[in-house]
Amino acid sequence: MKLSWMFGSSMEAHHLLASYIIVWLVQGGYAAWIAWQWRRTGKELQPDPADLSPRDEDA
Amino acid sequence: MAKRSCIFGVAGMVWVVLTLTAIAYATRLALVVAPTEATMGNVQRIFYYHVPTSMLSLLFPYVNFMASLFYLYWRRRDPLRALTADAVAISAAEVTVVYSSICLLTGMLWGRAAWGIWWTWDARLTSMLLLWLLYVSYLMLRKLSSTGQTQTLAAVLSVFAAIDVPIVYMSIQWWRTQHPAPVFGGGADSGIDPSMMPAFVWNVVGWAMWGIFLLLYRYGLERRRQESEQASALRAIEGTLEIAQ
Repeated sequence: MKLSWMFGSSMEAHHLLASYIIVWLVQGGYAAWIAWQWRRTGKELQPDPADLSPRDEDA
Repeated sequence: MAKRSCIFGVAGMVWVVLTLTAIAYATRLALVVAPTEATMGNVQRIFYYHVPTSMLSLLFPYVNFMASLFYLYWRRRDPLRALTADAVAISAAEVTVVYSSICLLTGMLWGRAAWGIWWTWDARLTSMLLLWLLYVSYLMLRKLSSTGQTQTLAAVLSVFAAIDVPIVYMSIQWWRTQHPAPVFGGGADSGIDPSMMPAFVWNVVGWAMWGIFLLLYRYGLERRRQESEQASALRAIEGTLEIAQ
């Protein structure tokens, strides 16, 4: 296994692994947060069904 | 309109696929292909993430700075354009915080392994922490302020925050620091072994593409939020008019 040194027990190996995990957690977490907000805002943008139904004065 | 958003959706998907491919290839080069550095050993591989994200964390503040200047210029002349500039500004500020957070955290992990300390108050580290704090305070101001002048105040803050960027960049040349001298353009002894260059270049390309994706995605979200706020403001006005009748 070529990457075995990365999962070794030395401090260097732990710190290298931790830094790669941090990069992916921060970047992936932020992208996931945008995606979640995107979905939420999409729901807010959908028109209220009450607004679409004909009102008394329109009839 | 629907056709246009469909084209943007497809282009976005293609961009994401290309970006993830570039990052995957860059990660393979950094972890498997690049040679082990003679003095620091494998921990030096943090370099392939730390330096590209550090470089990018000094570029996105200028996007925020330019967008803030445009906002200040347009806010009375053309409010709709000002809103667009404001959406770019907040997106760039958030991406700056993401990249500078990674820069600080990976730097601390590397520092502990290479120097034996997590942190030291030298000029480079302190000015970078200050940059992070400035953009976090920019985001806090936008989140918590309710003055009605929030966007203007944030734009002014961002103009001052951008002053820290050249200080961060030049700090390792102006002052004696624990942080190493510039890897590129730092004199006759600077630079890296040519066998390490592909891993470095591909990481710069991959993370720059990812940063652009985040910036555009966040910009799209902010525009949707602005649209949603405008729609609810219109609904509130209509409601007031109906009550008045």
